[in-house]
Amino acid sequence: MNISTDPWVWIAAILTLAIFSFLYRENPFYRIAEHLYVGLGNGYAITFYWHRILVPSLIDPVGHNPSIVMKVWLIAIAIIGALYFTRFIPRISWLVRIPIAIALGYYSGATIPRAVDAEIIKQLRATIITRGQLAHWDAALWAIIILVGVIVTISYFFFSAERKGALKPLSYAGIIFIMVGFGASFGYTVMARISLFIGRLQFLLGDWLGIIK
Amino acid sequence: MMNFWTKLQALDRRWIYLVVWLVVMVPLIFPFKIRPVATPPVQSLFNYIDTMPENKALIISIDYAPASQAELQPMLIALLRHAFAVHRKVGVLSIEVQGLGIGEDALRQVAAEFNSHARTNADSVLNGRDYVYWGWTTPYITVMLGMGQRIARVFPVDYYGQKTESLPIMKHLKNYDDAGILVSVAASAYPLSWINLAQTQFGIHLGCGCTAVSAADYYPYVNSGQFSGMLSGMKGAAEYEELLERRMAQTGMDWGLRRKGTEAMSSQAAAHLAIIAFIIIGNIAFFITRRRKS
Repeated sequence: MNISTDPWVWIAAILTLAIFSFLYRENPFYRIAEHLYVGLGNGYAITFYWHRILVPSLIDPVGHNPSIVMKVWLIAIAIIGALYFTRFIPRISWLVRIPIAIALGYYSGATIPRAVDAEIIKQLRATIITRGQLAHWDAALWAIIILVGVIVTISYFFFSAERKGALKPLSYAGIIFIMVGFGASFGYTVMARISLFIGRLQFLLGDWLGIIK
Repeated sequence: MMNFWTKLQALDRRWIYLVVWLVVMVPLIFPFKIRPVATPPVQSLFNYIDTMPENKALIISIDYAPASQAELQPMLIALLRHAFAVHRKVGVLSIEVQGLGIGEDALRQVAAEFNSHARTNADSVLNGRDYVYWGWTTPYITVMLGMGQRIARVFPVDYYGQKTESLPIMKHLKNYDDAGILVSVAASAYPLSWINLAQTQFGIHLGCGCTAVSAADYYPYVNSGQFSGMLSGMKGAAEYEELLERRMAQTGMDWGLRRKGTEAMSSQAAAHLAIIAFIIIGNIAFFITRRRKS
């Protein structure tokens, strides 16, 4: 056992135990640690936004760029961005719609056409069984399972017609695929949560108490 | 007997927490040996990076915050070690502002590991020559699209405040054309954004290192070939560490580096067995008490 003498390790260890104490019951130590995390996280982000975004992209260019057109352009954009704060003033809070509309337009325009290609067309193409896949029995089997899974799962979410005739067995088969998907997601979630706990225990037992390497 | 099953169903959940705590902690102190076997998505990402052309760089995007460090940091370390072991240039950026410190820690650690074994200047791993840490900027759409045109325009200065254009590595790393692959190590939906924006527009090859929670969501993109490979959770990191250790041993780099992902596998296996046991016992209790009631 080789307990750490680093005060930062001690602070991190005490805060970790404070968060874990919630497993027993809600308590002031947990709340202190939770509030500290939220406050520090926001403070850290605001500092970086100031130093990495506002200063080099707005304040420095406005101060040092000789072009008047560029200065006016940047100041105009900054004013539009600052309109986000008008939501705190009820009389002019409607102005917040201007920056939101610009951001929405930009994000939608940039992402929607590409998402259609990447998430629909390419995914659909991946369900097509090719001659190459049929050459190997295992690849062919997986390709068929994927194709069948996609068809029956989509048929489960086909709500425009009553579930009878051919649609009934298809949608029931869809439920099986959906349940398998939920099971896989749950298994992975358990693995993820245990991993996070292991990470904290590695820190407590290793970096703090020195029991493990 | 009936009383036992009824009591079991009403068991205070804190007893379960205690059991999980012990089941995870004991194998960390007294580990049993597990040699991870690489799954196909891990193997294909490893092979891709291993056989990348010499003039192509590896770009790593740190798309996670400290909350997911336990799962994702071993992946980041393993990817950096791999790139430096096969002498590929590395560019690192962060889409999450809270991931900045994580990236610096990882680069400093891995560079120190390689520099402590370096015999010549050429063997060393140097900031600005062998790797660059661009840091963080926002919004992510501008970053992902802008890097396809000119990286130095998106990141005029690196994390340490040096002018990006002045760094020797940037002569060989101007945009996505100079990158063999970009790996998004993520605890969020950013890997999908990399596909939508960077891959669809510029055709860059992508890899993904994700938390286990997201793994099921990303498998379709491995199947479609949009991801050249994927590491899922701490287990994925352990599999990559295994492949990397063998690869480094082949080239005389048998340094016995710490493998945090692999070290966790005995605890992970024990915890999974405990959870399976809980689920089985819980179901038995449920069905027995229901039958008695009816």
